[in-house]
Amino acid sequence: MAEVVLTGVEKRFGDVAAVAGVDLTVRDREFVILVGPSGCGKTTTLRMIAGLEDVTGGDISIGGRSVTHLPPKDRDIAMVFQSYALYPHMTVYRNMAFSLQLRGMRKAEIDRRVKEAAAILGLSDLLQRKPRALSGGQRQRVAVGAALCRQAGVLLFDEPLSNLDAKLRVHMRTELKRLHQSVKSTMIYVTHDQVEAMTMGDRIVIMDKGKICQVATPLEAYRSPANRFVAGFIGTPPMNFFDGELRGEGAGLSVVLGGGVVLPVPRPRITGSSGRAVVVGIRPEHIRLGGQGNGTRVKVPAVIDVVEPLGHEAIVTARCDAGLLQIETELHGELKPRQPVELFFDTAQMHLFDRQTELAL
Amino acid sequence: MLPAVLYLTVFIAYPFLMAIWLGLTDAEAGHLKWNFVGLDNYSKVVSYEVRANDFVVATVPTRAEADALVQARGSAKLETTPEGPLFRTSVAIAGRTIPLIAMDSVSDAEFQADTVLNEFQWQVSPGKGGFAVVAHAKDESIRLGPFPNRAALKRALESTFLVKTDTQIRTNGTGVVQDPNFRLAVVNTFKYTFGTEILKLMIGVPCALLLNRKFGARRLLRGLVVIPWVIPIAISAQAWLWILDSTYSVINWCLVHWGIVSPANIVNFRGDPQWAMFSVVLVNVWRGFPFTAIVILAGLTAIPDEILERARLDGANAFQRFLYIISPMVRPILMVSLLFSVIFSFTDFNTIWIITKGGPFDQTQVLSTYAYQLGVNAGYLGKGAATSLFMFPLMALMVFLILRFLRKEA
Repeated sequence: MAEVVLTGVEKRFGDVAAVAGVDLTVRDREFVILVGPSGCGKTTTLRMIAGLEDVTGGDISIGGRSVTHLPPKDRDIAMVFQSYALYPHMTVYRNMAFSLQLRGMRKAEIDRRVKEAAAILGLSDLLQRKPRALSGGQRQRVAVGAALCRQAGVLLFDEPLSNLDAKLRVHMRTELKRLHQSVKSTMIYVTHDQVEAMTMGDRIVIMDKGKICQVATPLEAYRSPANRFVAGFIGTPPMNFFDGELRGEGAGLSVVLGGGVVLPVPRPRITGSSGRAVVVGIRPEHIRLGGQGNGTRVKVPAVIDVVEPLGHEAIVTARCDAGLLQIETELHGELKPRQPVELFFDTAQMHLFDRQTELAL
Repeated sequence: MLPAVLYLTVFIAYPFLMAIWLGLTDAEAGHLKWNFVGLDNYSKVVSYEVRANDFVVATVPTRAEADALVQARGSAKLETTPEGPLFRTSVAIAGRTIPLIAMDSVSDAEFQADTVLNEFQWQVSPGKGGFAVVAHAKDESIRLGPFPNRAALKRALESTFLVKTDTQIRTNGTGVVQDPNFRLAVVNTFKYTFGTEILKLMIGVPCALLLNRKFGARRLLRGLVVIPWVIPIAISAQAWLWILDSTYSVINWCLVHWGIVSPANIVNFRGDPQWAMFSVVLVNVWRGFPFTAIVILAGLTAIPDEILERARLDGANAFQRFLYIISPMVRPILMVSLLFSVIFSFTDFNTIWIITKGGPFDQTQVLSTYAYQLGVNAGYLGKGAATSLFMFPLMALMVFLILRFLRKEA
């Protein structure tokens, strides 16, 4: 059992809090992604779990045992670094065997484990090479292999794919996900790439300014973001935001955007007082180009600004009375800049956030 | 193209070619005409000498017989008989007659045989064919010669000794190879170079490790550590002259005040043959270790933090990290620093010239100072040039070995 529990974990550098009180429970064998923009404290959190950074407050436990003040080697963890951190003077074999040799393991057992990890990662033919003679993707796999050999309860990944080119990154994403299904370790994975977060994790932890914004499955985070930051961070192209004000009560509740655009709020559970300042968020795929208006679809006139074709789809930037917005739509040949169009906002998929607290309503 | 060739020839090659040419002449200060003498400055043998020691007088099957032979030495007699043009002297001992030596005069043969019989120490040593009785000279061995040429030497070697003996051939001559002072200078050069290099590493490596740690005064200390290296040696050596002074040495002052040595036994650092080499090595190490430390520090800072962090996660303690990770990764740059340092020390002239001028009794005379003494102070320009050019192949060999090591690493 390698459950990782963080209780009020803090990291302060003088007056600055890099991590300001993180509570998180990672279940055994779970694949959890820490995601957020640079400087959000995700890497610091991971390094504290690894024991590479001192914890200035709170407690970390792995497998029911507090490891807050244990040295890294006694924490039952293995880590894959962003730069791979391979020992340049050692062969692939020695790179993978090094930690086992230091632990005084028997030669036969080391050999078995290294060969097993090499077989999983397709490194069997490269064992006698030095890291210099490997490609980026192969180095990445050696780094993962070295961590796998340890058969530690928890595997930590610090942005392991960020040094790879785009194509290889997509490939390794799949490989790592498959790896998680075949090994018995808990995995904690740090990335700033929300696509990696969405596609790989069982659950994602979205962090901002040293705090956790939301812990959820990828789809939950996508469908019901806890605050404006999560809403804007998850999903490409990002959610469109408009400042607005609430009007009316109950079933007649609506939100008034700039330029006189009025959107009815179909979920009357929001008990906001009339006149409350809010932010309206709506994803690009929930704004349709053309079609018919009905109960939840509200017509908004707009003018096309830029068209970015992606093949069968296009991202269209348009200007309506409430401001600039992006929509995702099937490509229509006739879309041209400065062309007036009718947009339909799907208000059933609309998100409302308090403008002060930025929390979801 | 032409200006570049001209520049290379005139500016770089000329002084070197001049030295080579001087080394091939009998150039001497005050002589009007310098003659080409070929390689005579390097090696010119005038005569050969033979030193013989460890005469195997007899080999007998048992230790008792060997002991009996040694015992019977007091009653042994020498017998000399003519043998062709030579006279052969044998030792009659314990019923045996052992032919020992053959020379072209009776008195010479008897004198040498008598020396072996009565002056040498007779020892029994177990060997392959039984027990050998060996006559060993503690100080003066048997000398033959001088012989004017190799043929005479060969003839003498073949005919003179009638028992097995350990012979050494000495050459006397006017070339630098035949000069015992030159040979001493070569030995001293290697002592000086390796002594300083080992000490520089022993001080430079811990110093670099220390300066690589994160602490408040790190930047200040990194600046301070290079001071010995940037101060002109002419200035810093003046301070060292005082530190190592025979009367006013601060080292001695401390040792006396701490009660470690008595005032009567203070060390004369520059005047005592035992200490002079240590003193010049000390000054060179003081001056040179910052370079080693800074170069190694550069190597240490080039190791990514993530590699050291991974080593910690892998379970390596500080010592294991140094042994398995840091030192192999720093080794190539360390060899480069060693390469430069060896070149500097091997050709170093200033330090020794200021501190000891090669003395006392040539104990700190290295090739560069000896070449200067011989070529400039004594005026034998040709021999001085030949001496200094001897450094070239020796250093080329060392540089080659280091470069080959570097290539193997990479």
